[in-house]
Amino acid sequence: MTDPANDLVLLQHGDSFFPSGAVSFSWGLETLVEDGQIHSADSVSKFLVNQLRYRWATSDRVALAAAHGTGADLEAVIVIDQLVETQILAHELRDGSRRTGRALLSMHDKLGTPLARAFQDRIRAGDTPGHAAVAQGLVWRGVGLTLEQAELLSAHTYSIGVLGAAIRLGVIGHVDAQRILLGARETLVGILHETAPPVSEMSTFTPATEIAAMRHETAETRLFAN
Amino acid sequence: MNVLPTGQQEPGDKANPAPARIGIGGPVGSGKTALIERLIPSLEARGLGVGVVTNDLVTREDAERLRDSGLIAPERVLAVETGACPHTAIREDPTMNLLAIDSLVASFPDLSVILLESGGDNLASTFSLDLVDYWLFVIDTAGGDDIPRKKGPGTVRSDLLVINKTDLAPLVGVNLKRMIEEARAVRGGKPVLTTNCATGDGIDAVVARLSHDVLFDD
Repeated sequence: MTDPANDLVLLQHGDSFFPSGAVSFSWGLETLVEDGQIHSADSVSKFLVNQLRYRWATSDRVALAAAHGTGADLEAVIVIDQLVETQILAHELRDGSRRTGRALLSMHDKLGTPLARAFQDRIRAGDTPGHAAVAQGLVWRGVGLTLEQAELLSAHTYSIGVLGAAIRLGVIGHVDAQRILLGARETLVGILHETAPPVSEMSTFTPATEIAAMRHETAETRLFAN
Repeated sequence: MNVLPTGQQEPGDKANPAPARIGIGGPVGSGKTALIERLIPSLEARGLGVGVVTNDLVTREDAERLRDSGLIAPERVLAVETGACPHTAIREDPTMNLLAIDSLVASFPDLSVILLESGGDNLASTFSLDLVDYWLFVIDTAGGDDIPRKKGPGTVRSDLLVINKTDLAPLVGVNLKRMIEEARAVRGGKPVLTTNCATGDGIDAVVARLSHDVLFDD
């Protein structure tokens, strides 16, 4: 450990104990499981790896980095936030991103993280939606984390959120979840070694998940909000 | 009208006081939604604007039931999905419920009370003190008269314990008097009330208690 205080910041914010609303969201998984498209540890593993590669690496990571890099320039953060709004196709995925972003800001406001209240005020005023990746970049910079640390946290908290949902949906066990997380590490490290695309090339390509999230809107059974 | 200020409110802001937030927890089928259906008209009759947040476990059943009840404008009822974690959503991570409360407050400035119904849960269920100002726990006679003796945190720690379905006690071999005595014994003097939400028996006493303990309009 080089700086225990900084390591503790990373641990606090990367922990599912940190209130973030994550337990309410499956990010398309609930419908994919309901439809039988995801039914095993192997298919959950593929889902997670594909989400990291074709959505997180090309979209969340880009928005997070942009927000982290803007410093205290809230107007620049809002431009990125509005771009994210236009990029998320399915309503429940967009809404989930907004809700988790707002939840994160609300917690950080209570903890006194710089800019959390100012950005939250702009959301309440209707100026900007408050997407998760953007809020993450803003507040994790505010608590003193580097971009690399913020990227790790974003990918990790997303991964444990999805795997927690998969356990509660009954398709994997708790040991499977840890094995899948271990297996996804190589993919994630590979992504982090690549240079992130610029904001102008932000994209996602997860059509099956988007269709599942759209179908979830009218699903009878809904443990999750998406 | 005088309602309990909460942490969301700036001190001295009397013009637009934050609504009182009342949690309603309890096991599946004990009568949480039925109690809310009885409370809404009673609270509104006192001139209090009411909003509801439900935490349905698997469907939108409870939210839809309230929206279709004719007792409350449907848009004043919001549903929060709990991802199969009803405990978490009201205790360790109540952020989605707090967002729903914020949303109701922003949409309906007249709100004086927000009733927050937990998902049907077990006796260990409790509310985060950062989420609600006051919470009650609903059990019922048909769930067994041994529930108070089990000293679950919900039964023991709630601000108000409601024993519902008093009419069923004789049909399920429950000695209601003893059940009430045992409930009082484990709660260290905190109130225990009985209701039959099907008929409305006991609701006035619940409203009077809320009025005295948390709404401060008595």
